[in-house]
Amino acid sequence: MSETMTCYERVDAAWNLREADRVPVAPMVIYIIPYLAGLSFKDMLEDPERLAQAAIDHCDLIGDFVHPVLTMLDHQAILPNATWDQVSIHWRISDHFPPQGNIPSALFNKDMIGDYDDIFDRGFATVLFNKKVGEAVFRRDVEEWLRYGFEYSKSYWRAWHRFVRETGKSLQMGARAAVPFDALISYRTFELVTEDVVERPDRVKEFCERFGKYEIFRAMDRCMIAGAGKVPGAEKIFLGNGMGAPPYVSPGVFNEFVFPYVKTQVDIAVNRGFKVHCHFDGDLTSLLDTLSHLADGLPRGRVMLDFEKTDMRKAKDILGDRICIFGNVPSSMLVYGSVEEVDKYCRRLIEDCAAGGGFILGSECEVPWDSKPENVRAVIDAAKRHGTY
Amino acid sequence: MGKLSDGIVALDKTRVLAAVQAGLDAGQDPLALVDEARDGLVVVGEKYDQGEFFLMELMRAAQIFQAAATLLTPVIREKYGEVSTKGKVLIGTVAGDIHDLGKNVVKMLLECQGVEVVDLGVDVPADVFVERMRETRPDVVGMSALLTASIPQMQATIEAIKAAGMGRSAKLIVGGGIAGEVALSEVGADHAATDAIEGIRVISDWIESSRKMGSGDE
Repeated sequence: MSETMTCYERVDAAWNLREADRVPVAPMVIYIIPYLAGLSFKDMLEDPERLAQAAIDHCDLIGDFVHPVLTMLDHQAILPNATWDQVSIHWRISDHFPPQGNIPSALFNKDMIGDYDDIFDRGFATVLFNKKVGEAVFRRDVEEWLRYGFEYSKSYWRAWHRFVRETGKSLQMGARAAVPFDALISYRTFELVTEDVVERPDRVKEFCERFGKYEIFRAMDRCMIAGAGKVPGAEKIFLGNGMGAPPYVSPGVFNEFVFPYVKTQVDIAVNRGFKVHCHFDGDLTSLLDTLSHLADGLPRGRVMLDFEKTDMRKAKDILGDRICIFGNVPSSMLVYGSVEEVDKYCRRLIEDCAAGGGFILGSECEVPWDSKPENVRAVIDAAKRHGTY
Repeated sequence: MGKLSDGIVALDKTRVLAAVQAGLDAGQDPLALVDEARDGLVVVGEKYDQGEFFLMELMRAAQIFQAAATLLTPVIREKYGEVSTKGKVLIGTVAGDIHDLGKNVVKMLLECQGVEVVDLGVDVPADVFVERMRETRPDVVGMSALLTASIPQMQATIEAIKAAGMGRSAKLIVGGGIAGEVALSEVGADHAATDAIEGIRVISDWIESSRKMGSGDE
């Protein structure tokens, strides 16, 4: 078929619940790109031109837009104004990929909150620049901090703007933010948050209220650096939730400690002209009715829900006339499955979710770095083969 | 079910500790109180299976059980001396991966059942698994991981265990995130668990079978 829309127009149509020329597609490629390009983690994080070039060289794995998580790498670990990532991820940047090296893994899993009084009195700097983190980011000299704080962001986005010019694919993120309850688990440990929701729920809610606003305002600021208002897609905020959902927490905990603060974050951003890409890990099938209210009171096309294990057919049934949905080919299938299995899975997803628009085909979460490239390409091909409107 | 097990199922720490104290004050056998609390944990596991409870509830139930055990252990020691454990499990997250939430839940719940757990932590190389197996002689070795890239590490660890001639000395189980989605033939373990409760049931059954065989019941 001949494609009649640009990548950005295609994705924009899906966000706005309209049919495009075909189903847009974007597997969540992150580390597989630098891995295939032969970059080390250090290269990937410290040299944005080489990372963007790797994405250009392997853009056959990218689909209609470079996934936000690949372009958010500037936020991870090496910037002084990074937040969630540098404390929630155990960074072991090395010169190799596994098995010789390591990839960064969540969770950091040390308590930096204590009785909550300190962060409520003195603010989040006590957490975000806590020496308990002890990673390399805190061993930088002043010149490095200044470089990463001011110059690096500009050079990073220059590199990704070049990617857009050379590939015709779109960016879909200017910044990222954390869901506060999920961040709290990172700062406090799952074990202690389990106690807190029962023994001191008001403290947890106060944290979520304060930190949710802090995160979303910081993200909007970062979007402006990325070119929001000038570069299409840079107005989008990637709002990530890892453990604030089933199977980790119950629907009751989600409804009380997660959703109200996510809704506040979304409202704040959208009411200021930004858009929010909600990446929710876990299985939220039982929470789809709650999530159907995420865009209440907001203009159409400003919120998108990106699911991992959630039942996409039910998501389409419940959210289809309100919010664009995105997902969810299993990561394990991309590593261990065949091209035929991937194609069959994608075809079913398209049949279940694509009618009327409002669906983007993607992976359930990260495309593992050791995925078979032909399987990733099969996801992209499936959108072209089975997803014509 | 009694007040103690009811309290565990209700995830009500105050009620559980009050029931334990009341039982001790009334002269109840502390081991019977432990058993009753474990009955509560069984129901918690069933509720997890049915989708009524989630990982946070499992964690909370184990925390409450441990709080109860803190009250009961000195009384048990005074009355019976050291009580032998039901079995021994060696557990760790394989090399290259540091995810340990699922492993920690499994560890806590196994300990609640009276199983001794030797926790090797995270990012554990294959040779450390082998070395600690040799030292501790566990009934079961559990390997945890979240990442797809950890599957080859699980395979390598199992191969190292078998190469050291210990493949038959303990049952081998893998679990955590991706492990349950991969065919057993990929990893070479005796079982691949999709969640913590399934893993605990399989381990408990293995240990029970092993005890019966050891005591000549079978």
